[in-house]
Amino acid sequence: MIGRPITRAKAVLLSVLSVLLLLAGYTWMSHRQHQVNPNDTTIPSWSQLAEGVKKFTQPDRKGERWVVEDSLATGERLAMGLALGIVFGFLIGMLMGCIAPVEAFLQPPISLLAKVPQTAALAVYFVFFGTGMEMYVAMISFGIIPALAVTVYLAVKEIPAEMLDKAYTLGASAFEVATEVVFKQVLPKFIDAVRLSIGPAIVFLIAAEMVVGDVGFGYRIRLQFKLSNMNVVYPYLALLAGFGFLLDYGFRMLQFKLCPWYQSHTK
Amino acid sequence: MTLADPDNFGLQCQGVSHWFGENKVLFDLNLEVQAGQFVGLVGPSGCGKSTLLRAILGTHPPLKGRILTMQNGRLANADRPGRDRGIVYQKYSLYPFLTALDNVALGLKLDQTTTAFRWLNWTGWAKKRREFRDRAGAFLEKVGLGQAMHLYPSQMSGGMQQRVAIAQALIMEPEIILLDEPFGALDEATREELQEMLLRLYEENAEVKAAGGKPPYTLIIVTHELNEAIRVGDRLVGLSQYWDWKADGHERSPGATVVYDKAVPVFRPDERPEYALFDDIRREIRKYVYNPEVLQQRDKHINVGPTR
Ligand SMILES: Nc1ncnc2c1ncn2[C@@H]1O[C@H](COP(=O)(O)OP(=O)(O)O)[C@@H](O)[C@H]1O
Ligand SMILES: [Mg+2]
Repeated sequence: MIGRPITRAKAVLLSVLSVLLLLAGYTWMSHRQHQVNPNDTTIPSWSQLAEGVKKFTQPDRKGERWVVEDSLATGERLAMGLALGIVFGFLIGMLMGCIAPVEAFLQPPISLLAKVPQTAALAVYFVFFGTGMEMYVAMISFGIIPALAVTVYLAVKEIPAEMLDKAYTLGASAFEVATEVVFKQVLPKFIDAVRLSIGPAIVFLIAAEMVVGDVGFGYRIRLQFKLSNMNVVYPYLALLAGFGFLLDYGFRMLQFKLCPWYQSHTK
Repeated sequence: MTLADPDNFGLQCQGVSHWFGENKVLFDLNLEVQAGQFVGLVGPSGCGKSTLLRAILGTHPPLKGRILTMQNGRLANADRPGRDRGIVYQKYSLYPFLTALDNVALGLKLDQTTTAFRWLNWTGWAKKRREFRDRAGAFLEKVGLGQAMHLYPSQMSGGMQQRVAIAQALIMEPEIILLDEPFGALDEATREELQEMLLRLYEENAEVKAAGGKPPYTLIIVTHELNEAIRVGDRLVGLSQYWDWKADGHERSPGATVVYDKAVPVFRPDERPEYALFDDIRREIRKYVYNPEVLQQRDKHINVGPTR
């Protein structure tokens, strides 16, 4: 039956099973590959993988641990880009939703910008912002602002007029309607949109790091791939996935904390 | 007693007209409501009942004419919304992100504190908030919602939601409270319970009046259930575009106006009216307010002026 729930125990069992199958499948593929070519590095065996992990967790000749310096660099770029994009995406969406002239003024450029593929526009960012921190931050924030702003703008427009009128009859000023009604009504949808924008933000960042980076996940993956060190590339991909998952989980918790009404509302 | 007496003043609409482009909605509407009256407002769907309520509320003032209400103890033009006029809608009266308690306390918060105070004076605001919540809680207890205080609207039944919405409007002690098809989405039994809640307010009015005070509740309820209008109201007003505007020299319909205005019997909250007795009232309303074929002079069925 479609949508019929299963018990918690069954759900856990099935999840564990899928992970085990994945691991077993990998082991088998790697084993077969090494029977053909014992020196293969495209599908490294578990011991080769352990070597790779050791390579990026131990200090290299310059005394740097790759995973630490890469995480710090990529994390900082992502955090700054996301933070700026979140603040401006939200503000622009609120202003567009609440103030008609701003809406008329910003709607064309925002909807157009939302359609430009950020990875294709990389060159533009290199030209305008160089290859330093500013470039990463600009690229990530410009990349997510249109989508975030449009989400907030549409969510504001969706608020029934009655809710706004009601607030005025309770003695609210226009500013209070914005902060006490519109903001609170829009917040959970905005957090959902931020969660969805994390994926694209990481894509933009890694792409840029692959092209011009001298440290960071994108840089390391490209370099190690060129050296055929897939035993570093695969763990790095897993780390990236875990990174994205944690970030997403954090925002979900934040939504749960800030908007307890939203869960019971959507149920 | 006349409307000129501030202790008796509820509402005055003078020559109110409103239109949306070519769509003429309200025409030269005059309506006076005394403090303490409960007006049942009926009319064909789309005749402009909600438009009239929005005009009284002040969120959408009429394009022509004047609406006067009591504001801060003085007669004033109702051209902007304020705490002296409350509204309950069929939907969207409550904020989904606030619990019942905070929905009711919201008006106190918005009316009695400023954003600057709440953001800068944290301890002062915490104290005020406790006070507002206490008041809202006591109010909810009074309307039988003590159990539901900490529920969000989505966790409440439709009847509970409307009860909270009424409490949310009443706690502001408005001069007049407007209800736009408030019970339209509820089942019959719940409807009757909520009608009783309103009738208890009417009873309170009578007690205060008997003691020589100004009745605290004045109310206009829009409904498409004639029985509801008769039961809750002490006065029945019919708004309609079906009147003899040709005789008044108009080429095409200038819009809806008051075509029916009569006193109707008053009921105690626990009294189940014998609706069969009101067949003649209902027949009149259907004929003069709802029937597009029957066009009579617009003042022919207006038997109550508040200043009678
Ligand atoms: N914001 C608006 N813009 C244009 N027309 C409107 C608007 N609001 C109401 N109307 C029109 O005004 C008329 C009266 O509407 P309304 O007051 O909602 O009627 P009622 O509440 O009596 O059913 C309808 O013809 C409706 O289409
Ligand atoms: Mg209506």
